[in-house]
Amino acid sequence: MNGWYGRCLRVNLTEGRHKIEKLNSDYLQNFLGGRGLGVKVYSDEVSLQVDPLSPDNKLIFSSGPMVGTGAVTGASCNVVTRSALTGTLACAKMRGHFGAEMKFAGFDMIIIEGKAETPVILSIMDDKIRLVPALEYWGRSTSETEDKFKENLGDQWIARETFLVTIGPAGENLLPLANVVNDRFLSVGGAGIGAVMGSKNLKAVAVKGQHSLKVADGNRFVQVVNTMINKLNSAPLTSQSMPQWGSAFLVGLCYQKGILPGNNFQKASVSLRHIGTEALEGAFALRSRGCFSCPIACIKKTDIKHHAYEGKGMIPTYLAIGSLGTNCGVSDLSIIGMANMVCAEMGLDPVATGGMLATAMELVERKIATPEELKIDIRFGNGNGILEALRMISTKKGHAKRLGQGGKILAESFERPDLFMGVKGMPLSPFDPRALQGMGLHFATCNYGSHHLYAYTFIDELLNVNENLDPSEIKGKPGLVKLYQDTTAVMDSLGLCCWPLLGLKFKNFVPLVNSCLGTNHTAEDLLSIGERVWNLERLFNLKAGFNKSHDVLPLRFTEEPISDGNGGEKVSRVNEMLPEYYYLRGWNEQGEPMKETLKALGLED
Amino acid sequence: MPRIKIDHTKCTGCRHCEIACSLNHVANTANPRRARIRVMKDKNRYYPVISGPFVDAACTSKHIIEIDGHRYDMCALCRASCPQKPFFIEAETGIPLKCDFCGIPPSPSCVRWCNTGALELVEE
Repeated sequence: MNGWYGRCLRVNLTEGRHKIEKLNSDYLQNFLGGRGLGVKVYSDEVSLQVDPLSPDNKLIFSSGPMVGTGAVTGASCNVVTRSALTGTLACAKMRGHFGAEMKFAGFDMIIIEGKAETPVILSIMDDKIRLVPALEYWGRSTSETEDKFKENLGDQWIARETFLVTIGPAGENLLPLANVVNDRFLSVGGAGIGAVMGSKNLKAVAVKGQHSLKVADGNRFVQVVNTMINKLNSAPLTSQSMPQWGSAFLVGLCYQKGILPGNNFQKASVSLRHIGTEALEGAFALRSRGCFSCPIACIKKTDIKHHAYEGKGMIPTYLAIGSLGTNCGVSDLSIIGMANMVCAEMGLDPVATGGMLATAMELVERKIATPEELKIDIRFGNGNGILEALRMISTKKGHAKRLGQGGKILAESFERPDLFMGVKGMPLSPFDPRALQGMGLHFATCNYGSHHLYAYTFIDELLNVNENLDPSEIKGKPGLVKLYQDTTAVMDSLGLCCWPLLGLKFKNFVPLVNSCLGTNHTAEDLLSIGERVWNLERLFNLKAGFNKSHDVLPLRFTEEPISDGNGGEKVSRVNEMLPEYYYLRGWNEQGEPMKETLKALGLED
Repeated sequence: MPRIKIDHTKCTGCRHCEIACSLNHVANTANPRRARIRVMKDKNRYYPVISGPFVDAACTSKHIIEIDGHRYDMCALCRASCPQKPFFIEAETGIPLKCDFCGIPPSPSCVRWCNTGALELVEE
């Protein structure tokens, strides 16, 4: 088979058995792989009533067909399950080298079922599949687990080729804020998944393999990759900004347009001097790191020397600077960097955790909660309080339990649910929807809470790569949101990263896909696969009890204009855009896909 | 004589060169274990290592070199494949692999795909 390896590993932790299955070729055609295939298999196999943390829930690692073939940025492996934070379907993307190694180990998909009695690590080493007792790793941070596991392999050459995905203490303690971390420090970007893995007593998955992947037309494929590398090199964003600073280059631009939030979205961030790219270069010595077969290499590593943590770390991305920094009133890059590192080490999701902290801080600021009640001193701008809180939350020490349940539950327990800035339980990524209208609509409608990684609308709204759109206008935005949601869904299903869309058009990827998989897809075909995946996720969420009433932004965005910053006196006009969005999607007024839509997408039962 | 110059300070560890090599030498096949270039990690740095001659005995002089406080494991950076280092040996056939500059005239595919400038073809 071209691209795919065609095998799936099913591990039942309760019985301690595994079985190797062949993948359904109809599914591969209609859902490609990665996110699409993961969502299809998950919604087929898992009942809707299942509690995310029960042994009946399943955890699926799914690599796309382009992963490991050398396709430009073909590195992403999706983790599909029902999130413990949102209760919706979650399909987080894992970058780095794990996904590719999984393909070389001979598996497109790993399905984890049941619950182990004692902590285990699933080890897949050159076709030897074992469950290794993991008591000695339990309680350790993610990087410690990885180092210790590799040390215990006893052979440096095997250790060099082994890649792990682990959970930290946060996941072990079943915190809804927990996510999984791969390649030592790369956060997957999926809050709630770490808790699912922890509930299965699965500390880590380790893979190493030596199988070959086939591409359909090698000569053509190599040519297409050459062209794409040249194109990426001629676009300013993918040849300069991203390789130099990673996604942190967005900080300056977002600040100028009033998109970078401050103090739990109460205002626009005030000063750029301490958090801009110049400050970033001053604060850290940057080293570029690439995910598997990525010519851009946007991951930036550094050495951190701080009394709380010393060692190799990742410099904060835009996400971390916004969520753990400005939105909590902190503008000290060394604190933000530290907080980001503690999150990775403890296995916490930076966005979900930052959003929760900002909510807690506003509760304190408005004197609804006192620091004594929360048993922790957190106030806007108190960086050390954040670091302390992160450690207490993840290890469940002190009385920080309440915080660990996430911002939504925290705000509700103080009877102020309006102070939680998030959708479907997931805090907003740091893009203010009042100043970036399209992103606001995406936040409201995204199947997995308000996460920007599921529709890169800022490529056109803010960076004007393909189209010149005004971020504060709403004309054309519903169409843009649909386009990017579908694009992202299909890119995830193929296993490609979405950041190259900053320098390439989606249609540039079509020859890459065809020469790799031996198909004759057009760009429209691929986008309709993306639409199918999006609708399938929507159907799952609808059956799981999410409906139109969950497609709303917090009242702050539709009623309180930002009083300062460069965004002007604006509110989010998401409710005006929603009907048009539903219409474009082929959904009825209640946001349910209509029969004709499902029929056209081949999703009717 | 053409040579491939390696600037390890520019290497990001993306391993695109490994796949470029594999696709060029084994038809339509992507597999780092069949590549004649591998990216090794030592401490904070990545080092692309291009396969050299096969030796059938392990060497007796394994060095660890210290430069500016960094200790480098020269065994990892060594270009030879030997019984103690299972790299650059074709997994399916057991044949040792050696870089051939992708034919005559030399146009190494790894250099073409390396986007950071860590690999460069030079005439000497």
